[in-house]
Amino acid sequence: MNNYKNILWHYKNTVLATLVVVLSTGNFSCKKIEDVESNRLASEANNWKKYEDARANLLSVYGLLRSATVSDNTHWLMGDLRQGDFKITNRADLKAIVDGQLNAQFPVINRITNWRRFYAAINAASLFIERSKEIVGLDPRYTQVQNNVEVAQARMVRAMAYFYMVRIWGDVPLLTTSHDGDFIQVPRTNKDIVLQFATSELLNAAEIVPFAYGGTDPIFPGTYYGQSTAAWVGTIFTRLSAYILLAHISAWQGNYLDASRYSKFVIDNYPTANARSTGAANIVLLSIDALTENLNYYSPFAFKRSTLLIGFPFEYGTGLATADGHLEQLTLAAPYIPKTRPEMFVSKDTILKAFTDPGDLRFSFDTKTNTYRKNYFTNFSSEEPVFSKIKVVYPSATSGNTVLFASSLVFSRLEEMILLYAEANAALGNLAQAVSVLNSYTENRGTTKYDPLVNGSSQIAVLKAIFAERRRELMGEGWRWYDLVRYNRIVKAPGIFIVKNGQPLTFRQFEEAGGIYWPVSQDVINANPKITQNPYWK
Amino acid sequence: MIKIYISKVMLLLLFVFASPSVFAIERFNVAMASNFSVQQQDTAKRDTAKYANKTDTIGQMIRAMQKFKGIRDTIDIRSAKLVPNLSLQQMLKGNLAGVYVQEPNGEPGTEQSMIIQGVSGLLFQRKDVYALQPAIYVNGVPLIADNPFAFDVQKYDYNRIGPATNHLAQISMDNIQSIVVVKDPYELAKLGPNAANGAIYITTKNARAGKRDISLNSYFGYVTAPKVNTVNGAYENNFRSQFYQKYNPTQKYASYLRDSTNVSYFGPSNWTDLYQQTSPIYSANLGITGGTERANFRFFGSGTKNAGNADETNLDQYNLFFGINMAPFNWLTVSTSVNAARLDRERNRSYRDRFAETRYLPDLSTPPSPNASNYSSYLNEVEKMVDNNRNTILNGNFSLAAKIGKVSLTSSLLFNYNEGVRDYFVPSTLMAGSSYVSNYFGYSQRMAINNVASYRYEVNKSNAIDFELGQTLQGDTHKYNYARAYNGPNDYVKLTFVDGREFINGVANPGYLNVLTNTSFYVFRYIDKERSNLMSFYGSAKYSYKNLLTLSALLRRDGASNGQPDSRWVTTPAFNVNWNLKEQFLAKSSGIDALHLSGGWGRTLRIFLDDRFAAGPQYRSENGWEEEPTIPGYSQYLGINRPYNSGFIGYGLRLPYSNRTSITLDGTFMKSRLSVALTAYNRNDKAGVLGVPVPLELGYVSNYRSGLDINNKGLELLVNANMLQNNAGFSWSTGLNLSYNCNKLKALPGALTELVYQNDNKLVVGQSVGSYWLYSNVGIYNTDAEVPAGRTFNGIPMKKGDPQFVDYNGDNTITSQDKVLTGDRLPNFIGGWNNSFSYMNFDLNFNFIFAAGQKAINQYDATRYGFVNREASSDINAVREVSSWQTSTNAINYPIYDPWSPVNAYRTDQDLFLEDASYAKLRSVTLGYDFAKSSLLKKSLRRVYLYATALNVFTLTKFSGIDPELINYNGIYDAANITIPRTFVLGFKLDL
Repeated sequence: MNNYKNILWHYKNTVLATLVVVLSTGNFSCKKIEDVESNRLASEANNWKKYEDARANLLSVYGLLRSATVSDNTHWLMGDLRQGDFKITNRADLKAIVDGQLNAQFPVINRITNWRRFYAAINAASLFIERSKEIVGLDPRYTQVQNNVEVAQARMVRAMAYFYMVRIWGDVPLLTTSHDGDFIQVPRTNKDIVLQFATSELLNAAEIVPFAYGGTDPIFPGTYYGQSTAAWVGTIFTRLSAYILLAHISAWQGNYLDASRYSKFVIDNYPTANARSTGAANIVLLSIDALTENLNYYSPFAFKRSTLLIGFPFEYGTGLATADGHLEQLTLAAPYIPKTRPEMFVSKDTILKAFTDPGDLRFSFDTKTNTYRKNYFTNFSSEEPVFSKIKVVYPSATSGNTVLFASSLVFSRLEEMILLYAEANAALGNLAQAVSVLNSYTENRGTTKYDPLVNGSSQIAVLKAIFAERRRELMGEGWRWYDLVRYNRIVKAPGIFIVKNGQPLTFRQFEEAGGIYWPVSQDVINANPKITQNPYWK
Repeated sequence: MIKIYISKVMLLLLFVFASPSVFAIERFNVAMASNFSVQQQDTAKRDTAKYANKTDTIGQMIRAMQKFKGIRDTIDIRSAKLVPNLSLQQMLKGNLAGVYVQEPNGEPGTEQSMIIQGVSGLLFQRKDVYALQPAIYVNGVPLIADNPFAFDVQKYDYNRIGPATNHLAQISMDNIQSIVVVKDPYELAKLGPNAANGAIYITTKNARAGKRDISLNSYFGYVTAPKVNTVNGAYENNFRSQFYQKYNPTQKYASYLRDSTNVSYFGPSNWTDLYQQTSPIYSANLGITGGTERANFRFFGSGTKNAGNADETNLDQYNLFFGINMAPFNWLTVSTSVNAARLDRERNRSYRDRFAETRYLPDLSTPPSPNASNYSSYLNEVEKMVDNNRNTILNGNFSLAAKIGKVSLTSSLLFNYNEGVRDYFVPSTLMAGSSYVSNYFGYSQRMAINNVASYRYEVNKSNAIDFELGQTLQGDTHKYNYARAYNGPNDYVKLTFVDGREFINGVANPGYLNVLTNTSFYVFRYIDKERSNLMSFYGSAKYSYKNLLTLSALLRRDGASNGQPDSRWVTTPAFNVNWNLKEQFLAKSSGIDALHLSGGWGRTLRIFLDDRFAAGPQYRSENGWEEEPTIPGYSQYLGINRPYNSGFIGYGLRLPYSNRTSITLDGTFMKSRLSVALTAYNRNDKAGVLGVPVPLELGYVSNYRSGLDINNKGLELLVNANMLQNNAGFSWSTGLNLSYNCNKLKALPGALTELVYQNDNKLVVGQSVGSYWLYSNVGIYNTDAEVPAGRTFNGIPMKKGDPQFVDYNGDNTITSQDKVLTGDRLPNFIGGWNNSFSYMNFDLNFNFIFAAGQKAINQYDATRYGFVNREASSDINAVREVSSWQTSTNAINYPIYDPWSPVNAYRTDQDLFLEDASYAKLRSVTLGYDFAKSSLLKKSLRRVYLYATALNVFTLTKFSGIDPELINYNGIYDAANITIPRTFVLGFKLDL
């Protein structure tokens, strides 16, 4: 009987249970079930709302340009290899670049000749310029002043991307708005128009951005996103950055009057930046140890430092040490990292030709210890000396077993600006000023000062000396090819510069044929039929 | 919402089980209607065998299907049980019409792909393959598969991070009652969006009433090491000398080939002694079934050791199954079953997989030595590695079925949880002084509730209508935590750790729980989670007229959270007609036992695997580049930007769908000795989303747009015949399945007629989506004079020793404009042929499988001939394994081009390396002896069966590589995978 009761009880409950199921199927909201918010992305509804959104979007603009310049080691492959000082041990793609075979069929060459990555940075910058103002009304922490400063930063990044591309490809399509979601086809724009745009953007931005962030600059005082200057040096663009870019654009255009004006501004005003910083080390002329041994607080390569006037850091402490994207991947080997041979090196001949000063701390024979100085080159006596100037091995040491590197991409530092200022003066015929500027940091390098009476007083001699110093000082910083172009433009040398398919070309003929530029990847042309191949590479 | 549902179900469980006398019901001897001995209620009721008038439950479905065993797309379980297959894919390979199984790797437990009736999408990237897989149902539970979203944080996509074990190695064949492939449009529409690529429906043996039934099965055997022609440096030197002599006599050989006294490269090539193993495999399982009509159970447990023939690869599989059915009342059935599995995998120790995991490429100019003594010193270091791969899998259901009058109600809860853990450690000795550790924990989880009500309305004796209403709610979660770290303090510390001190001397510790401040390991962490819900309603009606004609119609509405808000709810219909021709026209014919014509049309919604499409325009943290894809941000902050690297996503992306049509004519003839079925199908996969190339000046690689339409047409023929059955006891029965598929791209988004997809592939309307896009190689320029004046290759002047490519557009320059679509990655014809002979107590089975029409790119030979570029690059494709020191007997001799040419003469995007990869294989041979037929054992044992099986016996192919199956999903043959072993086992089956 008891069992019957149980069964009955059970029966009732089961019916109830069934009812619960059947009824409950009808009375919930379909909407709720179907709205699953992804936590893998920020939708249009969630972005451009808060103070932090501005930071995340702005820093990505920098991040994208960093990726564009370092991916597959673009900066060095394009800057240091072509007619440069490096010899390749093994890699066929690098050999092709050294030999000027820039359309050789290698994946890396195909990837670096695809300009999409620069346009990603440009598009992100344009989007920031267009959209970030929305935050001003929505988040009271985000002021109009801050927005102006950040929009100006985005303009500077975009201008740099255009300048960087013009150096590589000449005429490139100029897009000044994001065209968000609208995939228009734009043909190449004349390089002068592109540079004109970049110049006006930079001049505009230079008026708005401070000399230092998170410091005491009256334009934008106080901490920046809660951080003082120390957190922001070497990462985001300041007023000095704007003038450095302006100086370079002018020099590239052969407008040395402006180049001289802008570079002088940087040299005159870096103390202002120092004065308006809080908690950061000063911008200084680098000692040899700061330059090559990552010592003290001034290395432009390790960490992120004030001395990095324009560049992109890869701080290990923020999880950004990488294998690709650093010169060390190409040049370092034992004894610094566990790798038997570097992928490229500077041959003994070249070293001896470039470093002629017996007191040069970068490279010379040290008579005290009877050894060659190792600051720039290690194992000089071997077949393949290791180019060891730049060595920021995880974490930020000069050597290590983990083949991840944390060195910044250094686009410009004070010495580079000084040499550009000297170059501008020499090009303009202000030789005395040029020589005096050229001699402004010889103490740090242990070199003898240039003496026109001894070393030559002609414009050519001074120019040669300046470019020789650029070659030494900026070796491995991605300048060599562009320096060669500027030098040859100034000196207008009549000799044969290159032989293409058996046909000798002077520099002028070479430049007019478009030879100073890289071919653009076929992938770019396939995606936009309005893009034409650079004629030299057709 | 899922939670609410779970709590409701819990409540429900309480209602049902809370009574202490729940088992007391057994005491009541209530006569039961026969259809209450249901084994399993399946809410997505199906009647794949349409001949059964009313197949409401899985149990009935199986019985119905067994009538047509072997002829309606089911696996011949009896002979399949005798083959030591590990994974579901292996069981199906060649045995189900229209199902193409790719087993590109003989390493046990690696992922394998199944494609039913042609591809519905692209297959250029690893993650594409995930989107092509059919739904697998185990006892009505749609299994959740690993989500490919993990590839977002990977640099190389050879393997998914984590254990990357094939989940479908979870099921033991001895516990399977039936495996059916569901291809019928109406049935698929009933299964809903999960089954957009078709479905494989597995029913395990389940609880049933009857005398206690115990079965014990076991086998033991070996996978055997293959015979290999090994070579050493002398062979390599000889091979290379032809290039040096012809093009570069002064160039020095690669450093490792310069010294012919170097034993490492010029000594004996005996790496096989250490690389290959003949390894034992074994398996044992026990199944117990018993109980009464009102309450019965089944238990099954199995343990299996499977192994590969090289690199000490193996897999341990443990499987437990438990099922009970109860009928507390004659109108209510409660049934539940749980299937649990554990898979422990020992993975290969190849260089490539290690480099891909550690993202670390050393100098590749010197390959591993072919000499065993050198190789053993490497293996000694490999011994110090840790590589634990463990998957824990749980799936099951709980269902209630009530029948009240003519209405039956079913409610079931389905769950599936797969967890994968991988711990990986590489000692510093293998990583040039810096150790590596990575840990992965991930799971995929699916919960679903199904409710179905059905009602049969009999208008009169000859007319009846079955109505059905159903509703499903399904929630999926995918999650992983993955961390990789470099440079531990020493090779004994294999864990990353953090500083747990929140305060040091009362001062807040800046390094508290921060892995990046701890200098012992350099850690990169990745955490990702994705959730999606699917909600469905459907109603269907089936009208039957006598046993002559049935007409069915179904209408369903599905809402998916992964769809965009304005288009996530979609209504789809399906129809089916089944006409009994035999009864209609040939009722008196004695030669024809049955003849049916059936046809169906149905639409199924297809749901995105990725939740990003639902969001529309978006911002992601995509800051890296190809070599460093996971850069989190800039400076010390996370950055977000438009998805430039993965493609723009706008609004207006609809959910794709499939329209299927199928017509089947099938009949049984000559007193059931011959049965034949012929099916024609036509499937249009519509509105697929594709990353369309856009001008790169906007920064994006592509723009995702709707409008990819792909058509698959095909024919499938099934023939089963009892060829011989004589009185002497000899019989021969044979079964053939043959499928033909033709794939065509019908439309591209935005009415484009062609597009270049991610630079390396081209899609052209009217062509197969699996086509290769290649230069046509027609020879060699032997002298500079042979080169047409001014002929360039992408701007490079062509010279002596360069390949002669066809200049299709006649502009005297070879560019990608001169590439043509040719060859297909997928076969046109697939099938299998199964033969069983029996004589007295012996039986013998041969299983042949074949696939024809697919082509492969022989990248292995391309890199062998292009050794100059290979050894001068830092590309993962240039990695050489020790197993590359061998030659294939049917290797092709390619022309001797100039390997130093900037044209890259041995590039893989030319038809020089395109090969026919068709094959036919004798997959298995089984010889068995049934003792039960001898009267000796009859009393105590129901069945004693002994058998011996040989697996992967031989292959017929023109392919020049080792095995035409070892071709990766993208058609690339790289010879990096372990070969599919020839296996021999001895086994017995014992039924008590």
